[in-house]
Amino acid sequence: MDFEPKILGIACNWCTYTGADLAGTTRLKYPQNVRTVRVMCSSRINPSFIIRAFQLGADGVLVGGCHPGDCHYGTGNLYARRKLAVTKKILEFAGMEPKRFRVEWISASEGKKYAEVVEEFTNDVKALGPQTKFKIRKD
Amino acid sequence: MTAMKKIEENLRKEAKRLLEGGEVSVVLAYGRGYDENHPMPFAARTVEDVDSLVFNEYCTFNLARYLPKYPPKTKIAVAVKAADSRAVVQLIQEEKVRREDLVILGIPVTGMKDQKTGEVIDNKTTCNMANPVLYDILLGDEIHGFKGGSPYDVLAELEGMDHDARMAFWKKEFEKCIRCFACRKACPMCYCDPCFMDASRPRWADKSPTPDGHLMYHLTRFYHLAGRCIDCGECSRACPVDIPLYLFHKKLAKECEDMFQQAAGMKIEDKPAMVNYGNQDSDEMLK
Ligand code: SF4
Ligand code: SF4
Repeated sequence: MDFEPKILGIACNWCTYTGADLAGTTRLKYPQNVRTVRVMCSSRINPSFIIRAFQLGADGVLVGGCHPGDCHYGTGNLYARRKLAVTKKILEFAGMEPKRFRVEWISASEGKKYAEVVEEFTNDVKALGPQTKFKIRKD
Repeated sequence: MTAMKKIEENLRKEAKRLLEGGEVSVVLAYGRGYDENHPMPFAARTVEDVDSLVFNEYCTFNLARYLPKYPPKTKIAVAVKAADSRAVVQLIQEEKVRREDLVILGIPVTGMKDQKTGEVIDNKTTCNMANPVLYDILLGDEIHGFKGGSPYDVLAELEGMDHDARMAFWKKEFEKCIRCFACRKACPMCYCDPCFMDASRPRWADKSPTPDGHLMYHLTRFYHLAGRCIDCGECSRACPVDIPLYLFHKKLAKECEDMFQQAAGMKIEDKPAMVNYGNQDSDEMLK
């Protein structure tokens, strides 16, 4: 049977989540592997969430926020960019495959981009196979 | 007289002067342990205490560790080596201590020794600088022309490994962890109360050394120290099972310097990198 990756999406309320909605309402086709959690801002994401997701069996984590300069709160995503960049370095140096974690800026009007990113990321993660490095529980 | 003896003498002299004149209420320095090679952190509060102060090559502890514990506005004199002074600077940046409450006794020194192994501490486990970056009084002569080597040389081997090998390396190291929290206790930048590990809602990771908790504890601690760790190496020296925590801390320090063009604890005027952003920041860092 084909491996269907389980992907955690974390999307900011103002841009990426709305972009995902748009992808849906315009009936774009994209893989169903991403389970999205909505946060008010990408800077609200505690890097431990991402570690935890991998521990609980996520095969990939996709974070979406507003484009730099477009943050609903002005500068939230500028802080988030630094935080998530460090998170990426940590995952990588710990030995996680870098392709399992991705950050994208997707605005509310970019439903198409959302669909494309999800498709691309899902394929990347699929190619890597199940994530076992951080996983602590069997399901 | 050796350089170390001279530092010890000056330390006592300045401590006495500061306490006698009431300029400070405590002098954080080193005192005798159970033998010469095992000095301990020591807080001198009276002129009589001053006789107990010592300094030698085994005085490795980073005394900046104790600064945030004092009530605000306490006047404190603190003895610092180069890395320790960076910790003080970082604490001032983070508004955990105020510059005006401190008398910084700078110790220019190289060739400190590990209490456990007796080996000389170098750029493998620390930033290996010779002179404090900030001080009021220098207790020894400034050191010129010291070439300590890059603090990041030691990373080459791990950086050269593939991801699987690195994961195997860290898993094997973390498995040794007995979760004594000595690393956290020794670190000058680990002042949070409560630490995320002490929180029960949410309970991020097991406090006892379960395999599940290893990754969460260590990776999160590494994250919390990114851009803040000043590479004193105390966490690794404190670790009873010799986990090379310094490797991860150094890696993140290096990456942060690359990405944010700022090393931790170098200038009081800097804003801590992780609660800041810069115009030069680009999406390159997310690649
Ligand atoms: S993490 Fe280790 S090396 Fe870094 S400041 Fe803390 S004790 Fe020093
Ligand atoms: S000092 Fe070593 S054994 Fe103790 S908690 Fe830290 S890493 Fe684990």
